[in-house]
Amino acid sequence: MRQHQSILEFKHGRYFKVALLLCVAAIGVYCWHEPPAAYLKPYGGTWLGYTLGTIGAVLILWLMLLGVRKRSYQSSLGSVQGWTSAHVYLGTSLVIVASLHCAFEFGWNIHTLAYVLMMLVIASGFFGMYSYLRYPEYMTANLAGETLETMLLKVADLESKCKRIALELPDEVNTLVMDASKRAAEKSALQGSFRRQLAGVDPKHPMRVARDNLLKSSTLKLSAAQTKAQEQLVGEMSRIVTLTDRVRRDLKFRALMQVWLYFHVPLSFALLAALTAHIISVFYFW
Amino acid sequence: MDIQVTYISLNRRGQQQRDQQRVAGPLINIGRGTQCQVHLPDPRVALQHAQITVAEAGVTLEAEPGRIQINGRAVDGAKLALGDRIEVGPYILEVEVPPAGLPLALAVTLAVPLPSFGGEGQRFVLRSPRVSKRRLAYIGFIGILLLCLLVPIGADLLGYAQAPDAKSASSSAESVVRTMSAKFAQTWNPGPVSRSHQPFGADCRACHGLPFVQVKDLSCIECHKQIKEHVPAAELTGAQGQAFRDTRCAECHRDHKGVQMAPRAQEQCADCHRDVKIVAADAKSEKAADFRTAHPEFRLSLMDADKPEVIRRVRQGKPASPDMVERSNLKFNHKLHLDPDGVRDPEGKRDTAGTLDAQGRRTILKCADCHQPNEGGRLMASISMESHCQSCHSLAFEPQVTKRQVVHGDEAEIATMLREFYARLVLGDVPPDVNPPKDLPRMRPGAVLTYQERQAALRIADQKANLVLRELFETRKVCSTCHEVARKADGAGWKVAPVRITQIWMPQSMFSHAKHTTEKCTLCHDVSNSKDSKHIAMPDITSCRECHVGAVAVVGKVTSDCATCHKFHAGRDYWHGVAQAQMLARGKK
Repeated sequence: MRQHQSILEFKHGRYFKVALLLCVAAIGVYCWHEPPAAYLKPYGGTWLGYTLGTIGAVLILWLMLLGVRKRSYQSSLGSVQGWTSAHVYLGTSLVIVASLHCAFEFGWNIHTLAYVLMMLVIASGFFGMYSYLRYPEYMTANLAGETLETMLLKVADLESKCKRIALELPDEVNTLVMDASKRAAEKSALQGSFRRQLAGVDPKHPMRVARDNLLKSSTLKLSAAQTKAQEQLVGEMSRIVTLTDRVRRDLKFRALMQVWLYFHVPLSFALLAALTAHIISVFYFW
Repeated sequence: MDIQVTYISLNRRGQQQRDQQRVAGPLINIGRGTQCQVHLPDPRVALQHAQITVAEAGVTLEAEPGRIQINGRAVDGAKLALGDRIEVGPYILEVEVPPAGLPLALAVTLAVPLPSFGGEGQRFVLRSPRVSKRRLAYIGFIGILLLCLLVPIGADLLGYAQAPDAKSASSSAESVVRTMSAKFAQTWNPGPVSRSHQPFGADCRACHGLPFVQVKDLSCIECHKQIKEHVPAAELTGAQGQAFRDTRCAECHRDHKGVQMAPRAQEQCADCHRDVKIVAADAKSEKAADFRTAHPEFRLSLMDADKPEVIRRVRQGKPASPDMVERSNLKFNHKLHLDPDGVRDPEGKRDTAGTLDAQGRRTILKCADCHQPNEGGRLMASISMESHCQSCHSLAFEPQVTKRQVVHGDEAEIATMLREFYARLVLGDVPPDVNPPKDLPRMRPGAVLTYQERQAALRIADQKANLVLRELFETRKVCSTCHEVARKADGAGWKVAPVRITQIWMPQSMFSHAKHTTEKCTLCHDVSNSKDSKHIAMPDITSCRECHVGAVAVVGKVTSDCATCHKFHAGRDYWHGVAQAQMLARGKK
């Protein structure tokens, strides 16, 4: 038996079938339905429009309940995995249900705002789904059996090693290494803002810059032992650069796996407000 | 093939401790994992970091690139020799002199102990974005709810909407709230309002009265006061009739759907008119659902000149109904007037061939010489003696005497005019354009008459006038060419029967001549053989169907739904009323 099952494959795609059925039924009824002549074309105010709108609104409310369900650890109302699977598929079916509800009529108004917000929520959800499916693989490949912590420990080790080696080298080199190490810490090059985490590899990382400078400064007069030490230093610094690049890539994936939620969740609450305004406004001025 | 591994560590006093172990070959794994024979428990070491192979030829060490250094050089693998220093992460493995019988002895030392967290490692903590998801969610939710829901209904919430006059806001705060509400309510607008509603389109309340109540008919009728019922409500019967009566304006007229608001959907008409008895049991109209496939023959509305208060509605069809005649009291021969060789014309203005016959020149008449659309273009303008007939049909009362003509249409006025004309001649006052008749005695100019002489002269003039009148109405047949003329019962003058020509034949259709100017008149109206004004030359449904089909498009034909010709809110007697009023008014004259 497989230990891991993707939420997409939950119970052999039970909710995929449900969502597919919903979409097919909605499209079928939409094609069959002849709107009252006064409306000239399909419209959210026909019985079918109201039905689709109700289904859509109920779906949106239920989809948002995932946030509640996943926090209620005591609950036995279906597994969170099942909920998430249904969340993904039924959330996707909203694209069809809501588009048919509005009959592809858009304008600069609260109604289309609700639609656009919904589409953005779904799009961010798609990205989330994609990142959960893809990035763990990339992360595993990037870490190559290590953990973020061991890589960081190695970087720390290597930095102190570099400093030790640099002690034997001329002041310029020693300063360069000390400075790079200090600035790397100060600039907190790995930590950085969320945006920098998302950016991934930092081409201006102090250690990379210092190493490149060291390679360029061929004017220094070094003894044979110093030349060897410098070679070693460059080697260690390169290892630091490689390691930090990998760390950054790891952070990037972690950030990517989180960042979509910063759109998905707030946008879905904005959608809830727009949906409320949409429903009330339609009947307020009936 | 075993090897010896010695783990060197420092005890609390800083003295070296050596822990010797024998490890079985030939394959020996080095790494963090517990399955490794050379176990290096440190996170900086890989799970399986390197591998030693013990063979007859010697002992070799292999690892993935970049993982180990031997004697300070990064290598992938090497044959181990006495004194080699291997760096595995923070560990140093030194090749020592092996005990007898063993191929290899390694001394393992942890050269760089694990740095404590909080030092260099601390800066690698992940930081979340400064704004939390929760805060963003609050901002989005409250922001949208406020701008798109609470502000639009703000005026209502504060009770301002119920104020009697929306324009006289009692305070500046109130006017601000009102303005904001109205502005932000525009975010609710689902689509552009129809053109005619645009002047007040920004004021939702103009149509939408109470919140959560559908637009009421009162909102519409407030402006559309003149709108007419399709049928009188009293005539509607049955459940469907009731449903039709209860239909709100807005159920057919949906605004916010772009610029077109009047529905044109044939199905709506056909719902009832397919069999109109289901909504009005006593209805007389026939079944109709589509112009091409289900439409009755046309009904003409006819009015007899002598009975203008009665409108006869006669349906076309074959054979034609005996009632399908126009009784206008006018004698007119279309065939004669449209003779391709022309008609006799004293002036001969529009002669084309230039030929003369015994009487004079001839003119070829066209339909448009008499029939012109009226100002609106929908109907034809009425034909009048003065504009259309008199240039040929002169009303000259004595052509040898004068070119003057009598007025048309008023017997009493004609008699008066003739008496005055001849009296003037008798009394010796002859205008320069008059050639006085030989049979009329007249006074010498300048003669002074006695009263008796004057009376005698005027009597002569009256006799002459009566003679000429008789000629006009009877003997010369000036009037009776076109009119039914009869001597009055008391013998005092003549009576010309009133003429009423039908102008609106199909009052329930909105036919527009202006839209059909591309076609020849004769395509619909065939009068080439009509010798009598009784003959009606109105087109029937077959001629319309030559171009027009129903609501379903047919290649090469004009798609026409009910609303192409019919008006829903015209009211049943709309055109009849107009037509009758016009005709009666003309009859009175």
